[in-house]
Amino acid sequence: MSRNKILFGIGVLAFVSVIVTVRLGGFLVDNEYRQPERQVAVEEATGEAEATPRQQGIADEQAADEAEARARPYVEAEYRAVPFVGSRVTVWVLAQLHLLFAAFVLAVPIFAFIIEFIGYVTGEKRYDRLAYEFTKLLSVSFSMTATFGAFLTFALIILYPKFTNYLMHIFSPTFLPYVLLFFLEALFLYSYYYGWGKFGPKMHLFLGFMLNVVGTAIMFIANAWLTFMMSPGKREDVDGDGIPDFVSAVSESGALLSLRDAFFNFTWMPINIHRIIANVAFGGSIAAAYAAFRYLQARNDEDRAHFDWMGYVGNFVAIIAFLPLPFAGYYLAAEIYAFSQTLGVQMMGGTFSWLFVLQAALIGNLFLGANYYLWLGMGRIEGTAHFHRFIKWLLIAIALCFAVWATPRYAIASVSEIAAMGGSSHPQLSYLGQMSAKNTAVNILILSTYMSFLLYRRTGKTSIHPQRQLLARTQVIIFAAAAALVIFFGVFGYHQSVDAATRIRFAIPQVYSVLAAMVAITVIDLPLYRNARQTGETQWGRMPAVSQYALIFIALSFTWLMGLMGYVRSGLRQEWHVYGVVLDTSPDAYTPTLGFATQIVSVTVLIFFGLIGVVFWLSSLSGKKAWEPKSAVEADRLGEGHAA
Amino acid sequence: MKLSVPMPVKMVLLVLGTTAFYMYLGQIVPQKEEHPPPPVLISDDMTTEDLVEIGRELAEGKGQCLAACHNIGSSGPSRYPDLGGIGERAATTIEGLSDIEYLAQSLYEPSAYVVPGYEDGMQPMNEPPISLSDDEIRAVVAWLQSLGSTPTVTLETELGY
Repeated sequence: MSRNKILFGIGVLAFVSVIVTVRLGGFLVDNEYRQPERQVAVEEATGEAEATPRQQGIADEQAADEAEARARPYVEAEYRAVPFVGSRVTVWVLAQLHLLFAAFVLAVPIFAFIIEFIGYVTGEKRYDRLAYEFTKLLSVSFSMTATFGAFLTFALIILYPKFTNYLMHIFSPTFLPYVLLFFLEALFLYSYYYGWGKFGPKMHLFLGFMLNVVGTAIMFIANAWLTFMMSPGKREDVDGDGIPDFVSAVSESGALLSLRDAFFNFTWMPINIHRIIANVAFGGSIAAAYAAFRYLQARNDEDRAHFDWMGYVGNFVAIIAFLPLPFAGYYLAAEIYAFSQTLGVQMMGGTFSWLFVLQAALIGNLFLGANYYLWLGMGRIEGTAHFHRFIKWLLIAIALCFAVWATPRYAIASVSEIAAMGGSSHPQLSYLGQMSAKNTAVNILILSTYMSFLLYRRTGKTSIHPQRQLLARTQVIIFAAAAALVIFFGVFGYHQSVDAATRIRFAIPQVYSVLAAMVAITVIDLPLYRNARQTGETQWGRMPAVSQYALIFIALSFTWLMGLMGYVRSGLRQEWHVYGVVLDTSPDAYTPTLGFATQIVSVTVLIFFGLIGVVFWLSSLSGKKAWEPKSAVEADRLGEGHAA
Repeated sequence: MKLSVPMPVKMVLLVLGTTAFYMYLGQIVPQKEEHPPPPVLISDDMTTEDLVEIGRELAEGKGQCLAACHNIGSSGPSRYPDLGGIGERAATTIEGLSDIEYLAQSLYEPSAYVVPGYEDGMQPMNEPPISLSDDEIRAVVAWLQSLGSTPTVTLETELGY
């Protein structure tokens, strides 16, 4: 007997057992013991069977409940509780799962569209196949996003009815456009996916473009809702004194004054920018993890080569988007500070200061993972030994930057620790916790990762440009100058002649010097290695298995990072639903410990990875061969069956 | 014989191991639960000394940024001016303003005067989300006066706001 038949038999047996148990229970309850002589007497007198004590008890309870329900006046609930888990955790997990799937669904079309466009321009079919492979992940993920979105909405209405009602009071005019855009997104997404190869390339690219436009518009609307909760108004110089004043979008009682100000509130655009970049980085990493999953499953060289390339492209997308992310993060943080110093200090110097140490560990791991994958990738290409000597220096630079970034400025410390340090900040190490040091560290990290990309790009190639030595030296000088400028501003920021405001502004030349260096080096590198002599072929599919686990590790770290940063963005409001307007009066109106928050983030990440595993599996089914009978006998039998 | 761990098992172990590692990091950092600041009761019979104590509590609690943004007599890095000795400096910082008037202006209207070398940005203490009452601001002024001078504020003191 085959294994499948045994499993089927066990399933049937289990089903029948459940039915029998239920029926048996029902039979025993229906045939409760009754005294025979009383039964006959009552039946003769009333014409009805007498209720057993149990039935009578149940009827009495029901009557009492009904009477109590009728006597109870209707009271509008402010909050409802979820047993064991709690309302906040329920909404937290649902919102995070919705956001993770939504981020993925918004990000993948961006780079799928770009890759398809590259394929259209270059005429190379492999790009088209790659873009389609990415798009295959969207269909199920879109359903997951919608499911968790609906789940979250119901949870908010049920668990936080008063607050949800308030948000509806503010944003009800935005709901219909949101629903219409969502409908359009479904239309464009499914026509983009199912129309692959069915439409002309221009029409198909148009569908992809519209999918991105609509998806981004949806995110912008949803971002207005959540940023309003943090910054319910805008800053504008109302009195003409050159100093921006806070213009609230709502009155002191919370009544809406301006939907426009509520929508285009202070942190709306910084969040939009940050989310677009973060979504692409996250989406790229998840797509790379899918490629890794398929690479490890692959049974032939062709598939291995394809999914190795897909993993490389996914990781490339993730890291390229990740490089400017710290800048977008600092912009968002600066805007939060500008909106409210209290929020800003709470974020970086108060309760959440240790959270940023965790963030540093995650980002450090992401940079390490990405660089490690690139260094391993050099093994795909012959003749790369002379590049290996740079790796240890890059590793040292990354590790040092990691350590600086992980140093907090203020620490939550015990009384004795504070006494020993002479304050809540360490007398020496706290300097590394300041923006000067952190900006320096992140800029050097970015430069180092960029160098890894550059080295990877050069492997297996020798420039034949007539000015190759001059150009290569120019690149080194630009790189060294950018690094020197970053370090100079980082160190000079601590000079006693530099005040706090100027020190913070030093971040701008630091960022510009790094961005300018990356652009300039890339601009030189393109002609330098155009038509370069190939000294070694890239052999896709020759990556060790550990490199694929590195891709999954990167995706995990990205997901965990998104969960953590989602927590801090929301947690910053502390006991406010809408900062300064609607106070949280529920039992959850406090900021939990970081340990508790990381437990919730971890559970969310595990659920997400369980679900994304299902997405991967379902997506991988489309590439499998159609089912065929295993034996000739079975084929004959089926053939007869069909004929009959 | 070489033991070969199947790929799905390795993946599950990687996911669980990485998540557990990050969760572990979250457990070893200092843990602190932040509750909303308890209400501070100010009664009519409170003396200036009582107000100083209440003001200190408010600066560390409901006033939020007051103690977190400023150093008090220490030389570490600070976003806003050191409050050490502010009670003494307040009387002479702006010509024509007494120490109480200057301190009250700093709390009600912080953008009106910004100490050179520092950026504007402090929030008015009487507005949401901090929303200190007038009496609570009197208490904070009394506490600030006590940092380098003798506090004189009472609940009858007129702050001009």
